[in-house]
Amino acid sequence: MQRATAPYVLILPSFILAAAIILWPLKEIISLSLHDVNRFGMIRDFIGLQHFRVLFADPDFIAATWRTLFWTASVVVGTLVISVPIALILNEDFYGRGIARILIMLPWAISLTMTAIVWRWALNGESGMLNSALRGLGLIDTNIQWLAEASTAFPMQIFIGILVSIPFTVTIFLGGLSSVPDDLYEAAATEGAGSWDQFRLITLPLLRPFINIAFVLNTIYVFNSFPIIWATTQGGPANSTDILVTYLYKTGFRVGKLGEAAAVSLIMFAILLVFTIIYVRLAMREAKS
Amino acid sequence: MSAKLKRSILFWILLSPIVVVILFPYAVMTISSLKSATEVLTPNWWPSELHWQNFPEMWRTSGIAPALANSLYVSALSTALTILVSIPAAYALSRYQFAGRDAFRQFLLVSQMLSPIVLVIGLFRLVAGAGMIDSLNVLVVIYTAFNIAFCVWMLQSYFSTIPRDLEEAAWMEGASRWRTLISVFLPLAVPAMVVTAIFTFINAWNEFVIALTMLRTEGSYTLPIRVFSLVAGRYTVDWHYVMAAAFVASVPVAVLFAWLQRYLVRGLSIGAVK
Repeated sequence: MQRATAPYVLILPSFILAAAIILWPLKEIISLSLHDVNRFGMIRDFIGLQHFRVLFADPDFIAATWRTLFWTASVVVGTLVISVPIALILNEDFYGRGIARILIMLPWAISLTMTAIVWRWALNGESGMLNSALRGLGLIDTNIQWLAEASTAFPMQIFIGILVSIPFTVTIFLGGLSSVPDDLYEAAATEGAGSWDQFRLITLPLLRPFINIAFVLNTIYVFNSFPIIWATTQGGPANSTDILVTYLYKTGFRVGKLGEAAAVSLIMFAILLVFTIIYVRLAMREAKS
Repeated sequence: MSAKLKRSILFWILLSPIVVVILFPYAVMTISSLKSATEVLTPNWWPSELHWQNFPEMWRTSGIAPALANSLYVSALSTALTILVSIPAAYALSRYQFAGRDAFRQFLLVSQMLSPIVLVIGLFRLVAGAGMIDSLNVLVVIYTAFNIAFCVWMLQSYFSTIPRDLEEAAWMEGASRWRTLISVFLPLAVPAMVVTAIFTFINAWNEFVIALTMLRTEGSYTLPIRVFSLVAGRYTVDWHYVMAAAFVASVPVAVLFAWLQRYLVRGLSIGAVK
């Protein structure tokens, strides 16, 4: 192995594999989105942006887009707001901290599909254990049909989304908190700073890069998240809990409109690219400082 | 009462709401998996008797055993393949300066951002065109491709913390570059390889949308698809069996994870920043 070629030989297998699985389908999607395609996937005439025009005229697509933005923003903001205090607590020394960490990280290890299926059962209107728990606590008198309409199903899905995003976010914050030197707090305490001031003036600024990264990564994950909604309501009833990923899946594999589904993919890809650019900027700024 | 004890009580009180909410679905899963077929439909919390036989019955009727084998096969193989192609790439990134290094890193970043769901239409055409629908090996290749970026990142940031002096000392002794890599460098990198392997394994074990799209016959289903198929599109769902199946699919990985989570916290805090 010669020195000059060695690094290329070393990165080649990973590059070929990743490129084949990512770039080839991307090329295929672009071509599908610009052609008339029958439901068996035969590519026919070039029709330009017709699929995109059809999509933007479809109220279900527009509704799913807005719902996706609402879904992403609610889950991400909810996750960050809940995760900061949890990480602060888990970073302190107390009895049972190891167990507390494991309990809070647990949803990470369990597949989203399983969690969502279990929730679907727990939210069942007649025999669901959430209803029986809430009745037992005296919070409700009649069963709520949680998944029967969007006004209760969608908030519940957001709630599940927040729960399963907490472990990853807390992990990132714990990594960040462990890099805060203790003597800073000691210095601040001798200066007479209270714990709120310490949090505001020391912890939060030092945690900021980690909050930024958690924000962008969570945004990407949540935006792409499929199993929670698919396994609880499949976007129903009557497409009222569809987000872009479920709309994409239905359009492509249920209705068989591959061209339109490919166009949805590209629109999602464009939105993701904006997030990616933000992430690269943040990562670079971190690398410099 | 010592200060630490007071603090511990306060913290546990503060954490208790979130702990209860996090554990709620898994409590539902465990309790429902031990109820009888009639009792599971009554809205009581606790079963009057524990139906342990749900597990052997579910095992016989639900086809979960082949799904378990499929999931193990796909997860183990894609983990091995991911580590195998990621180590050289990570080594190159951390030990060589070369033209295109930054471009390769950016490429990895973009591939990390493109999730399988966005590409699923194109992937389906790729796989269908090759006549390989239902093939578990296709799943292995796709999972590997989507995990490479994360693994290379993690390994590279860990490799960069291994001092070069050790390798240089070995070269001085006359060891070849290859020999040094095998007997000096890689043994030092074992902790990072274990963390990335666990992470890849869990990702593959839990993956849903690609498996849902590519696997069309019951014999090839992986666990998430098998359990999902027990629920989706059916008039009557045997929830006690579904919950038992979900339990079997979740608990091994959860135990593995609980055991290794402290390494993950450490590993991710390195990987997240660099």
